[in-house]
Amino acid sequence: MRPLTEQETQTLFAKLANYTGTSLKNLIVPLDNGPNADRFVFRLHQSRCYYVRLSLANLAISVSRDKLLSLGTCLGKFTKSGKFRLHITALPILAEHARYKVWVKANGEMPFLYGGHVVKAHIGRWSEDCPEHQGVVVYSMNDTPLGFGVTARSTQEARRLDPTGITCFRQADCGEYLRDEDTLFATS
Amino acid sequence: MAPSRTSTVKSKHAANKSGIRNSKTTSKAKSSSDPVSKPKKKEQQSKGVQKLKKGEGRKKRRVYTEKELDIPQLNMITPVGVEKPKGKKKGKVFVDDRESMMTILAMVNADKEGQIESKMMKARQMEEIREARKAEAEKRVEIRKSKLDETKEGLRKKRKRSTGADGGEESVKSEAAAGTKALKKRKSVSFA
Repeated sequence: MRPLTEQETQTLFAKLANYTGTSLKNLIVPLDNGPNADRFVFRLHQSRCYYVRLSLANLAISVSRDKLLSLGTCLGKFTKSGKFRLHITALPILAEHARYKVWVKANGEMPFLYGGHVVKAHIGRWSEDCPEHQGVVVYSMNDTPLGFGVTARSTQEARRLDPTGITCFRQADCGEYLRDEDTLFATS
Repeated sequence: MAPSRTSTVKSKHAANKSGIRNSKTTSKAKSSSDPVSKPKKKEQQSKGVQKLKKGEGRKKRRVYTEKELDIPQLNMITPVGVEKPKGKKKGKVFVDDRESMMTILAMVNADKEGQIESKMMKARQMEEIREARKAEAEKRVEIRKSKLDETKEGLRKKRKRSTGADGGEESVKSEAAAGTKALKKRKSVSFA
């Protein structure tokens, strides 16, 4: 387990900033105003990046590397080529700071949770002025985050789209907790 | 260093004082007996002098080790990834303090903001162009339609005119002979 290097931090933030707005800086602000206040940090462990409290990370160094499975919230993993891939486990953090949102109707929830893209017919609401290929967080109509994706069309273009046209490409959905149960947390 | 040894043997001082082989033993013996070992000092001095004498005219050259010369070991090309930069500290530089993380975050955020802005601008421009094209196409369709209507109207008028001109004279005839003529024609058509 180690902190991120500058390059890695940049890659991670660039990825997170796809989905979040400027409020992303709230991720790393100290929890209180004290001089030695606890704060959240990013830690890399077996190519996975964790968002964890500093105090917890300090405790975790007493666990040997091969015995440590996970700590804090897993945001995703760094690929061999140095890119970053967000996991569904990062959804609570993304949902909190999301910039663009898409609300899916009840009839579109299950198709999305089974790994399908979001078609126009299933969309209940969407954020205005959303450009093309922009990261969005997908919510159900009662504001429960279901996953995240990338817009296929800008909002204006999507209006003209036919009902079966794809408006949002799925990147991750909550169904992965079951579908990828074997690989989501285990590192081999 | 064989040549230097021979020179010491040949030199006067060395011959006078002691043979090179025995010199050590003698000096040792003397040093053991005398607290101050003068002969040894002398010998060292003499050696230095001889060396200087021998190296007269030529400057003492610095002998470089192979490492200092920085020559590739097998005189072949080393791949880019393999060669490590000199004088650089080994290992990764971690970013863990809040300030540097904030600066990186601010940079990334500004970058993303710019990207989104440019995307929006592009989308808006595209939308404008699309709207203009749509309006133009609609106009064209309208013009074509109006032209078609005009020609239709023209044709209709022509027909009416032609029928009107004939109708003045033949109206009476046709009216008078309508019943019989029509019946005859119908017969011929039905059995043809």
